[in-house]
Amino acid sequence: MDKQRIRELEEMIQVVLLAIPREISAREFYLQAARKAFSDSSRGLFSELAEQEKGHEAELRRILAELKSELIKVRGQ
Amino acid sequence: MKRGDLKNYDGKDGRPVYFAYKGKVYDITGSRLWKNGAHLNRHHAGGDLTHFMSMAPHAEEVLQKCEVVGTIDDEVATDIATDRMDVYRDWYRRFHPHPVTLHYPMGLYYFAAFMQLLYLIFRNPSFEQAAFYAFVGGTLTTFPAALSGLFSWWVNYQMTLTHIFRMKIIFTIVTLVFGISGCILRFLYPQISTGTSSLSLTYSALVFLNVPTLTIVAFNGGKITWPS
Repeated sequence: MDKQRIRELEEMIQVVLLAIPREISAREFYLQAARKAFSDSSRGLFSELAEQEKGHEAELRRILAELKSELIKVRGQ
Repeated sequence: MKRGDLKNYDGKDGRPVYFAYKGKVYDITGSRLWKNGAHLNRHHAGGDLTHFMSMAPHAEEVLQKCEVVGTIDDEVATDIATDRMDVYRDWYRRFHPHPVTLHYPMGLYYFAAFMQLLYLIFRNPSFEQAAFYAFVGGTLTTFPAALSGLFSWWVNYQMTLTHIFRMKIIFTIVTLVFGISGCILRFLYPQISTGTSSLSLTYSALVFLNVPTLTIVAFNGGKITWPS
C-alpha cells in the first residue's frame, strides 16, 4: 500500500470536498442577485455566473468521484 | 427516454454514444472526439452533461452538428444533480443549524471551567454551583450541536471521512463522554468539589478537560470555514 499516495489522495479529497459547498453557495448568491436584478443585462450576467458555478460544482463532483475511486483502489493494493 | 435508460448508451463495448443536454438526447456515435464513450477522458456518455458546458472551451453551438434522437421525459431535464439531498442542502443553507447550535456548548463549557477555577481559588460555593449548572447545560447542548454537525456532514460532504471530520467526530465523542461522566459524578456526589479525593480531582479534571477537547473540535470546524 502506497502510504504517500493515500495521503495525497486524502488531502485532495478534502480540498475538493470543502470546495463544493462554496460553489453551491456562490450559485445561490448569483441566483438571488439575478432575481433582484432590474435590468435584462445584469439579470443575464448573474444567471450566467450562476450557471458557471453549477458547472464548477458538477466538475468538482466528477473529480471527487474519481479521487474516491482511486483511493479505494490504492488502499486495496 | 427515461434518464435511467441513458446508461445503456455509454459507448462501451460498441454500444451507441448518447448523452443528454438541456433535456435533449444527442447521438454522437462515431465522433472522433469521443473514444470508448469518453470525451477527452473527462466526460462520459450515458449521462447528463448539461452543467459541464459552462466549463467547456466550446459553446453549446457545437451540438448543432449532433443528431438529436430524443428527449428526457421523466423529470426536469436540466437538474442533473437534483436529488433529495438538494432539498436538505437548501434547508441547511437557509437555517444553518450547526453554526447556530455549536456556540452553546462552547460558551457553557468554557464558562463552567472558569467558574470551577474560581471556586478552587476562592472556595465560594456559588462558583461551584454555577460551574455545575453550566457544565450540565454544556453537556445537554452538545447533543443538538453534534447532531446538526452530523447532518451538515451528511448533506454537504456526503459523510466523506477526511482528517478534519475524523478529528471533529472523535473529540465530540470525547467531549460527550467527559460531559456525561462529570454530570453523573456531580449528581451522585453533590459535595464532590469540596474534597481532595481522587473522585473530586476527577470531577474537576473533567470540567477543565472539556475546554481543550471542544477547542480541538472548534479548531477543525474553523478549517472547514477558512481552509488553508
